[in-house]
Amino acid sequence: MANKNNLRHLMFGLAGSALLLTPQAYANETIKIGVMLPFSGAYAALGSDGRNGLRLALKEHRERLHGSNIEFIEMDTEARPERAPEISSALLNRHKADFIVGPVHSGVANGMLRTLRNRDTIMIVPNAGSAEVTGALCAPNVFRTSFSSWQTSYPMGQVAADKGYKRVVTITWNYGMGRESVDAFEESFTAAGGEIIRKMLVPFPRTDFQSYISEIASLQPDAVFVFFAGSGAVQFALDYDALGLRERIPLIGSGFLTEGTLGAQGKAAEGLVTTLHYADELDNPNNVKFRELYKSEYNRDADLYAVQGYDAGLMIVEAIDQLQGKVKDRQAVIEVMRNMTVPSPRGDFTFSKAHNPIQNVYLREVKDGVNRVIDVAMPALEDPARGCNM
Amino acid sequence: MTTSLFFIQLINGLQYGLLLFLIASGLTLVFGVMGILNLAHGSMYMVGAYLAWYFFTHTDSFLLSAIISAVIALSIGILVERTLIRQLYHRNHLDQVLLTIGMIFVFNALQSLLWGNDPQGIKVPDLLSGSIPLTDTLSYPVYRIFVAVICILLAAALYYTINKTRLGMLIRAGESNREMVECLGINISRLYTIVFAIGVMLAAIAGVLSAPMVSIVPGMGEHVLIACFVVVVIGGMGSIKGAFVAALLVGIVDTFAAVLLPSIASMVVYILMALILLVKPKGLFSN
Amino acid sequence: MLFQKRSERLFIWIFFPLMLMMPLFLDGNIFYINKLSSILIFALFVMSLDYLVGRCGLITLGHAMFYGLGGYIFYIIAPQNEAVNFWVYTFYICVISAAIALIVGFLVLRTSGIYMIMITLAIAQMFFYYFSDSMEFGGIDGVFLYLKPETSFLGIKMFDLDNPTHFYYLCLFSLFNTLVFFKVIMASKFGRVVDATRENPERTTALGYNVFVFRLASYVIASALGAYAGYLFSMQYGFVNPSMLSWQTSGTALVMLILGGMGSIYGAILGTFAYEGLHYFFEHLTEHWMLFMGSAIILMVILLKKGIAGYIEKLLEKRS
Repeated sequence: MANKNNLRHLMFGLAGSALLLTPQAYANETIKIGVMLPFSGAYAALGSDGRNGLRLALKEHRERLHGSNIEFIEMDTEARPERAPEISSALLNRHKADFIVGPVHSGVANGMLRTLRNRDTIMIVPNAGSAEVTGALCAPNVFRTSFSSWQTSYPMGQVAADKGYKRVVTITWNYGMGRESVDAFEESFTAAGGEIIRKMLVPFPRTDFQSYISEIASLQPDAVFVFFAGSGAVQFALDYDALGLRERIPLIGSGFLTEGTLGAQGKAAEGLVTTLHYADELDNPNNVKFRELYKSEYNRDADLYAVQGYDAGLMIVEAIDQLQGKVKDRQAVIEVMRNMTVPSPRGDFTFSKAHNPIQNVYLREVKDGVNRVIDVAMPALEDPARGCNM
Repeated sequence: MTTSLFFIQLINGLQYGLLLFLIASGLTLVFGVMGILNLAHGSMYMVGAYLAWYFFTHTDSFLLSAIISAVIALSIGILVERTLIRQLYHRNHLDQVLLTIGMIFVFNALQSLLWGNDPQGIKVPDLLSGSIPLTDTLSYPVYRIFVAVICILLAAALYYTINKTRLGMLIRAGESNREMVECLGINISRLYTIVFAIGVMLAAIAGVLSAPMVSIVPGMGEHVLIACFVVVVIGGMGSIKGAFVAALLVGIVDTFAAVLLPSIASMVVYILMALILLVKPKGLFSN
Repeated sequence: MLFQKRSERLFIWIFFPLMLMMPLFLDGNIFYINKLSSILIFALFVMSLDYLVGRCGLITLGHAMFYGLGGYIFYIIAPQNEAVNFWVYTFYICVISAAIALIVGFLVLRTSGIYMIMITLAIAQMFFYYFSDSMEFGGIDGVFLYLKPETSFLGIKMFDLDNPTHFYYLCLFSLFNTLVFFKVIMASKFGRVVDATRENPERTTALGYNVFVFRLASYVIASALGAYAGYLFSMQYGFVNPSMLSWQTSGTALVMLILGGMGSIYGAILGTFAYEGLHYFFEHLTEHWMLFMGSAIILMVILLKKGIAGYIEKLLEKRS
């Protein structure tokens, strides 16, 4: 169905990319939401899910918007960091966007922060998990609805130690997110008495893993911890299975290993154990309702990226509602947002001082092509926000 | 590194190299015969993989979807040659670079429109899904061995076609002396169409064969493209034999660099290429 | 006279005064001023590429390497928490990148045609991976520059680079100087020999000129100016990223070049503006802008053989 959806988007786009949600009769103020996500290139699927989630939240809670016109201004980042300052400057200075939601990619986040920190807008990060966003580069007007790399990997170190693993090999792409994730795993795993016998760094975005996996096989560790996302996650799981290691050496990782990739991984993902702040199967009323709504609206299953976009939308709805549409007072918006409890499909969460979610991290295992929740790996986990002076 | 690990990595390298050869052979063939530098060659690899995925999910037969994909790729090749590439025969390499960059944009957009942007994958055909144990932890999938064998067979078929058949004779003649072939009353235009379409089909077949081994994602063609360039340049542009040797060399060097020199792994093949071009500015087997 | 063609004079008389007045029309709208600055910077980069490709006949698919190097050299040599002098660092960056270009040029200019395209690509990829895999340069996420240089010259403060309008004028000033610089070179004896090396290298050699030396000198000049453009880019948003060195950046510059009209130098400006305009237009039209952009590029290559500059020249010739 993906193709039909895309064709529809093309039509939509041709008709004009701004979409007005509320009837003109009630209109008082126009609230502009800039969307900076990748709509083309390798991260395009993540971008469109995030955008869908965001729009769904505003549509669902239309009656709480106090008659404000919501105008979306969508910009394709192409996941290219060098375009980020220019696009965010467009949203800030030309469109005077009240909220800017983006990006997916951490490199783009860095570029956006350059232009948006401490400026006259509210930036909500619906994915990019690099530590800096709510660490060294934290700012009052920057919020994150997703996660920090630390949050999704730190609990796994404890889990691995509890499972009795002593010697572990880690492997990830040699870039910020990858190194941060592996370091967070190492932090808790070695504290619990484990040993990292080899840290492998693969040049980004190489997806030819066969030689690394052969090397891992010869090291015979108790388990392998990985951080890979998207195509890298698919490829790693496929190669790991094809070379016969899946049944012999347990593969564990940050949840991105099996997020939005299970269809492509097939049986190669069976039995993989991961930690993440969300799982499609989470059994809570918000999640069930959200997933039904999403499916009926977009004719495709919601995923993590849709949830994170949806939560960014919920934050905006809540701020508009509480301030009765008066979002030009950024200080008031920040006050509302930092004290907010977001009724997310992942479970309610609040914000840390650095504006990162304080949230449960779940332990999940893939069974029959689905991430099943086994347990809460760590409840209400807060990122240490190293380097943030807020 | 133990001896057994050494041999395993050697096999990994050879297997990667053979696949590289399959993709690069089309690129070098088209360049050798027609003098056309096709930057959109990687896109054809992507199209092959997506077609295989699309038809596999509809027919559930790998063989059938491979055949359909190859036929479609052949038609795309004919269409593109007749409408676009034909305009470039009397133009310089720069125009070729630009036109084919435009084609990359178009193919990427079409992929996103037709098939969406989610990563896709297909399962290995049942017949080939087993694996052969190598050590007590590592085993080697039969499918990869199958792909390696197919690559070798296709290489042999290409070699035979070029050296022993009438078509091959024309191709060789076309490489060395275009005017001569035309004077002999051969329809060079049709020859070009055939060669270009075969080039496209080879890339697409590589995509089809890779489909069960890789994640099928947007942009997969561009990663492959640059690797192919390295192979084609090291081997000598237009030389099939050169591409074969260079592909194996690049495959092996890249595999060992990844484990032995992790900090500069992705630079190593480019360093290799620069060194070879310093000694032999036109590649190992230039005409 | 420096600008011989009518079309060229016409363009310069329209473009530069218009651009000089632009900030007045834009009324301090920071976005448009920033956008124009970045287009001017890229036009400068494309212009340096035009000199290589259009005038010297040396086709490279690795020119973006110097664009990125300009940014990275600045990051490496400038102290983190002290504002440096713009002119002094312009000099440093041009000299260092020229030195690198001398070595690289020595290697790549041994080849020609398609092989040169390939080896320039390979060397650029080497640098790309060097920066994207390095930890000290922020890897694939790039690095930030927290301070902008100050621009005092002989005690006079000329531009305040934190002010977008000042930065805009610096870019315009740089572009104009680069244009004049290339025109002076082209009109000189050196430039005439370079033209000869493009048209007929054998005969030029027979006349007693060392073709290699002329090509190398041209390569060094164009690369240093390419690096200068990258230096300006990194300064605009205080941001250096390995994708500045990617082959896609080189490819985009080539597309702009052919769109504007190769070999005319001022066509680089036309091409950059036209490409950015198309991109902006299609991107706002649909998220599948690549489809239209790609088709536009294909049509342009087939139909507009000499680019916009060539088209304008033809129009003017017809009338006169």
